[in-house]
Amino acid sequence: MSQTTVPAALPVQSRPLVLTEAASIPRALWLTVTGITLALVGGTWDFAWHMSIGRDTMWVPPHVTVQLGGILIGIAAAYAILAITLSGSSAQRDTSIRLLGLYAPGGAFIAFWGSVAMFASEPFDNWWHNAYGLDVKMITPPHGLLFLGSLAAKVGAMAWIASAMNHSADPLLNRLRWLFLVVGGLGVAQFAKLIVVATFTENMHTAACYLAVAVFIPSVLLATGWGALHKWGCTIPAAIYTAISLGAEWLLPLFPAQPKLGPVYHNVTHLVPMGFPLLLIIPAFVADLLLQKLEQRSFWFKSICVGPAFLLSFLAVQWPFANFLMSPASRNWVFGTAYFAYGDPAGFSYDPYKFAGAEKPALFVVVMTIAFVASIVTTRFGLAWGNWMRRIRR
Amino acid sequence: MRNLLKLVFILLASTLVHAHVGSADVYYEGDAGPYHLFVTIRLPQVIPGVAEIQIRCASPDVQTIQVSSLRLSGLGSNLPPVPDVAQRSKDDPQFFVSNLWFMEFGALQVRVQADGPKGTATLSVPVASFARRSLPMDRWLIAVLGFFLVFLTLSVVLIAGVVVRESTVPPGEVPQLSNRRRSRIVMALALIMVALIVFRGRASWNVEAATYKRNVELLKPPQAETTLVDANRLVVRPASPLMVPLVGQNESVSAVKMDEVIPDHGHVMHLFLIRLPGMEKMWHLHPDLIAGGAFSEKLPAMPAGHYQVFADIVDKSGFPWTLVGNVDLPEIKGSSTIGDDSAWDGVRLTPPLSESKVAQLPDGARVVWERGGDSLKANVPASFKFRVEEKDGSPARGLEPYMGMAAHAQVVSFDLGVFAHIHPAGSISMAALDMAQERLMPQSSSGAHETMMMDSMPSTGSLPPKFSFPYGFPHPGDYRIFVQIKRSGQVQTAVFDVRVQ
Repeated sequence: MSQTTVPAALPVQSRPLVLTEAASIPRALWLTVTGITLALVGGTWDFAWHMSIGRDTMWVPPHVTVQLGGILIGIAAAYAILAITLSGSSAQRDTSIRLLGLYAPGGAFIAFWGSVAMFASEPFDNWWHNAYGLDVKMITPPHGLLFLGSLAAKVGAMAWIASAMNHSADPLLNRLRWLFLVVGGLGVAQFAKLIVVATFTENMHTAACYLAVAVFIPSVLLATGWGALHKWGCTIPAAIYTAISLGAEWLLPLFPAQPKLGPVYHNVTHLVPMGFPLLLIIPAFVADLLLQKLEQRSFWFKSICVGPAFLLSFLAVQWPFANFLMSPASRNWVFGTAYFAYGDPAGFSYDPYKFAGAEKPALFVVVMTIAFVASIVTTRFGLAWGNWMRRIRR
Repeated sequence: MRNLLKLVFILLASTLVHAHVGSADVYYEGDAGPYHLFVTIRLPQVIPGVAEIQIRCASPDVQTIQVSSLRLSGLGSNLPPVPDVAQRSKDDPQFFVSNLWFMEFGALQVRVQADGPKGTATLSVPVASFARRSLPMDRWLIAVLGFFLVFLTLSVVLIAGVVVRESTVPPGEVPQLSNRRRSRIVMALALIMVALIVFRGRASWNVEAATYKRNVELLKPPQAETTLVDANRLVVRPASPLMVPLVGQNESVSAVKMDEVIPDHGHVMHLFLIRLPGMEKMWHLHPDLIAGGAFSEKLPAMPAGHYQVFADIVDKSGFPWTLVGNVDLPEIKGSSTIGDDSAWDGVRLTPPLSESKVAQLPDGARVVWERGGDSLKANVPASFKFRVEEKDGSPARGLEPYMGMAAHAQVVSFDLGVFAHIHPAGSISMAALDMAQERLMPQSSSGAHETMMMDSMPSTGSLPPKFSFPYGFPHPGDYRIFVQIKRSGQVQTAVFDVRVQ
């Protein structure tokens, strides 16, 4: 895939960039991204675990995987902080921020904070489930803390990679850029999980589904796309998200699993995946095309064009695709619409192949209007975030 | 207009009374096919929580025991989760223990599968699952989470400030004044943001905690409201609608419809009136369901007095409820009890407690509690054995099923904090047990269900003069036990007082 030569929207530099001394990606960065990947794998596995097995403690394998990921992030960030603080070269210190006498790229500090938050969420989550039950609500304070920690780890990793990118030249720059895009893709996957309830297939003909996408997806996608300085900076993370989701959709059912908690409505015999991914790759592609066309325009102009175009193109593909997902043709291993969690009363107390009642027309229009406005705001936020990452030097 | 006069007594349930009247653990004795089992289910204080399942096998041939929990009725009552394998005691190979997660409030069942040389057999024990309190947070966890809250709050503010101040500064340069200004603004914003997140999280937590607390309260023994109509007809109803939390819909509840309660021993309500303070008189009555979700009983002759009320019903899900209250009644000029209704008139409680092991029956026979001289211990499961003797000490004849059972017993603590209506099958509701067995029938090996029905519903003819009640007193204290049998067409009551250590 060819790379763009789009110039970064950088302020005029007062001095030439200092190229990084490293000829390869620092191990701490690799370790951080590995930790982020592990946490995402663990999170995906945890969803499947809840839907297939149910029994939940601090020590079930998915939780251990998530925490292992968090610990790896923490170790990597702490290593980078201590290494630069204790024995870093002056060049390394020059490309670091200073916090309470500690030196490291800002992203390392952010990632470390994220790992601590992830770690803190585990005993809290364990107590929460023991106190109030499993899966009563998805958004709970401990889940919120885990989400924030995981998000901070990705934000930190992207900032860390961006600072390295901004001191590097090819071929290292190219490798760093791909690492950056991968983390962006993991970020898209995390936000897609956050809105999983709103984007259940039965909700795909509601305006609320599109509002959820408009609020949570463009920021991370546009930040990655703009920050990566890559022609297909939005499409690639969306493709990574799609690949991760499809991998989970097709691989998880290969592993045997049975529910260990009641009530059991479905005779589950294998891990149940989350469902077919959203078709975000299409609006991401549209966003990339528009960003290329509107390169010289202001951020607000870009936002006003890209945000609604993103949402409109998503609507154009996801709405009809939802019809297909409701049809018998989708009830196979490829699309996975015949998988149900053991505790999902699908087919008993509701018809899983029937759309949830959409909002009344007036409300539908109002919510959809809000979604379009939100898409502009979140696109603008994503561009600002991406532009900050273009400018990071430390 | 005397017949229009109504004496209304709104009953106030004692606040000291606990859920299902102080006796939450389940004791059951029955057969899984060829294996006779005594099952004790220690209900956790908090749901979800881990129940301890203890199983004692009557014979040494049971090799493995597996247990699982599932709903008693409706959706989710057909497919059990993967069972847990109970641990066999090294010291006592006939004793098995398992820890089993109870995830839900409401009517559940515990399936017990026994394997041995005689094959595999299953029995099912209904369980009323409810929490007695909210789970507190341990001090160490409060300390750990408090530390993380402070650390994460301070560090995110500092990191945000430094990152904004320095992250875009080219190497070797110092942050500009504008960066410093922005940094301070961002730090303030970060602090506000953290405060908002913590505040929002705390609010969400409060809602969750309040919902849970409400669910705990909902399943406590409800208050009974009684109305005396026409001078001798007692109408009993819940003082407020019985509500059950809807699983999976955290804030939602549904009302128990009184016209959907299911008969237990052929009666929709078992009403116990115990005269206070001496407990020297007791009536076991069976009101009928009337319009408006109430239960009505024409009272037999009763002296004026203050009475404790316990009223057992079973809702359609199989969840047993005991309405609790007390009432002041004027003298009732009624007839004597008939049918399954019964009355007992005996000795008034007077301190110090005089323990009794032999109780006289009105027809001259007596009931003997076969227990040694050791004092009873709280929370120790036991099969309390009784025998009925003629005046001359020979085994009693002519015992008949009383509402389908060899005997009934009511265990009442002197402080009224415990009330349990138990049977030879145990402390469970027999209506709920029937539901559990019906679910089991297609899956059980031959014999299990039939054996159960024989135990719980003897057919006709004279019953053996011996019977037992599996039970464990929930806490130390003094108890009065009313043991009821039917003989020669008459329901007769023997009363025992006991001190539990």
